[in-house]
Amino acid sequence: MTSKVLGALVLAVVVAVISVPADAQGPIRIGASLSLTGTYAEPGTFQSEGYKLCERDLNAKGGLLGRKVEMVVYDDQSQPATGVRLYEKLITEDKVDAVMGPYSSAISEAVVNVTEKYKKVMVAPLAATTSIFKKGRKYAFMVISPAEVYLEGLVDIATKRGLKTIAIINEDTLFPKASAQGTEELAKKAGLKVVFKEAYPKGNQDFSGLLIKLKAANPDVLAAATYFDDAVALARQMKELDVNPKMTAVTVGGDLPKFQELLKQTAEGIYGASQWEGTLPYPGAKEFFDAYVKEFKHEPSYHSAAGYAGCELYGEGVKRAGTLDADKVRDALLALKTRTMFGDYQVDKDGFQTAHKMVLLQWQEGKRVVVWPDDLANGKPRFRR
Amino acid sequence: MNVVLTPAMIGQVLLSGVLSGALYALVALGLALIFGVMRVINIAHGPLLMLGAYVTYFLYSRAGMNPFLTVPVSMAVLFVVGLLLQRALVFRVVGAPELSSLLLTFGISIALVNLTQLAFTSNLRTVEYITGSWIVGGLALSKPRFIAFLFAATLTALAFLFLKSTRLGKAIRATSQSREVAMVCGIDVGRIHLLTFGLASALAAGGGALLAVIVAIQPEMGGVWTFKSFLVIVLGGAGNYPGALLGGMLLGLVEQLASLFLTTQLSEVVAYVLLVVVLLIRPSGLLGGRQT
Repeated sequence: MTSKVLGALVLAVVVAVISVPADAQGPIRIGASLSLTGTYAEPGTFQSEGYKLCERDLNAKGGLLGRKVEMVVYDDQSQPATGVRLYEKLITEDKVDAVMGPYSSAISEAVVNVTEKYKKVMVAPLAATTSIFKKGRKYAFMVISPAEVYLEGLVDIATKRGLKTIAIINEDTLFPKASAQGTEELAKKAGLKVVFKEAYPKGNQDFSGLLIKLKAANPDVLAAATYFDDAVALARQMKELDVNPKMTAVTVGGDLPKFQELLKQTAEGIYGASQWEGTLPYPGAKEFFDAYVKEFKHEPSYHSAAGYAGCELYGEGVKRAGTLDADKVRDALLALKTRTMFGDYQVDKDGFQTAHKMVLLQWQEGKRVVVWPDDLANGKPRFRR
Repeated sequence: MNVVLTPAMIGQVLLSGVLSGALYALVALGLALIFGVMRVINIAHGPLLMLGAYVTYFLYSRAGMNPFLTVPVSMAVLFVVGLLLQRALVFRVVGAPELSSLLLTFGISIALVNLTQLAFTSNLRTVEYITGSWIVGGLALSKPRFIAFLFAATLTALAFLFLKSTRLGKAIRATSQSREVAMVCGIDVGRIHLLTFGLASALAAGGGALLAVIVAIQPEMGGVWTFKSFLVIVLGGAGNYPGALLGGMLLGLVEQLASLFLTTQLSEVVAYVLLVVVLLIRPSGLLGGRQT
């Protein structure tokens, strides 16, 4: 295709876009792609339910700028490439008024290039990787805490308890790696000695070599930056190989009810990190929880809550800006400092989350108990031996 | 940061190596059988193992059966599945160029994994039956793994006994040595092929059923087992049945030792490096492959 033809095409598209009359009475359409099938289907579906509930609640309160809100959600099949295509489609073909983020750091990282290109504000409620927000992007906003601080509570409890040594292991992929690095820095700062450190490949099911070395290093604390499958395999093998640090924490996995369903007694005493719990005393958290159970017949996960909060935050940004104009909404979201049902929200100049706090859970008698931070805790940590 | 190695640690990894090696041998024997008898590389071997694991899971969780007692049931079910697959599809590519059988079994494997995903979702499932370990002389002996090891060793021994001393087993070995001569001797080669595929699927299922007790299962768990079994039979000598036993043990030990002396990340690499080295020095595997 020659550049002239291309130029004419671009011009035609631009004219077509401009000539679509803005219908002030029509609904504000917010587009998103979510992982409704594929590997991320479970959290992705929770997030989509969060969006749905937010849409309902916004409309119940009269919508945004006097217009109704309508979510347009597609399935990206857990594929970053599909996500990119869908955001292109949402913005250029469907001409949605605004967008919300997809599920996962990986897909957010891919689609944020599209939303930046078209200057669309994107609140990305389920992207926890710091680097996404530190590449000079202007319109992306982070809601949850970054990977690096997932196990802050573990380090804090361990130091207060007078424990001295820590072992850190992680799956060798983006999120767990960042999480392990963050934990190492926090541990060193707190004066814990890192006595063992090893990464393992994605999909690893056999931890015996690693655990034998770990056992010999005899750490007081084990911090494992995991996803779900490896967390389950690790917990089982620790029991098989009789590895019993005084505290054991996993990042992703330990927070899900499924962890205990699968492991039963083996889950006992293990710590998990969570972005949010239904029992936390945040404003509106309980109302959200009850409404969610009523609407979807099952309890929300933190993905649901983050999705809901992200959508609510975007709505708040629009209200404060008084317009859908991306630059004005951006300014409003940069200046915003609030506490939602999901916890605190405040971002730095890059849209990077600085206020939201992780909580640390522990499985006690088959139940998740929040043990950190103190002001949100509903139980005390229990130590082995 | 450096961990000092003690004899107890080395003993512990050798133990882990033998425990997993027996499972490798059991599963790889199935692959070796199919390859030996039909010259078909069965990519669907791992997914068949996965189906075996699901049979055990459902019998345990829905019918409350003792998971170790489900092993023969799972094997029987997959024996039938194997017969059907052979009858409907695989027999068409026996004797065809190896690429056709690779493509066909690859297709079967994709179909099995995706159908399972559709039917049972990709959620992890576990059989939490026996957990924990016995401490024997300072070593931790994992209860589920040890029992699985006993089963795997027994099943493998039975399979060898069957091949060695029964008429049918001899017919299988004869067909594996030379299809034409076997035919001349009055062996119904088509039937032997059918039986072999059923038997191999049952061996995979036995491995899957035992694995279900050890690790969490999901539809994609089989893929890595296809590759490991392949590695095992190439190490031991493709089509050479005792070779599968040796290869299995070797792979188990090498993986575990590598994860102790190097890192978990490198242990998989080491197994494949070993494969390359063996192929360079002894192209037909450690015990020599099938004579052609």
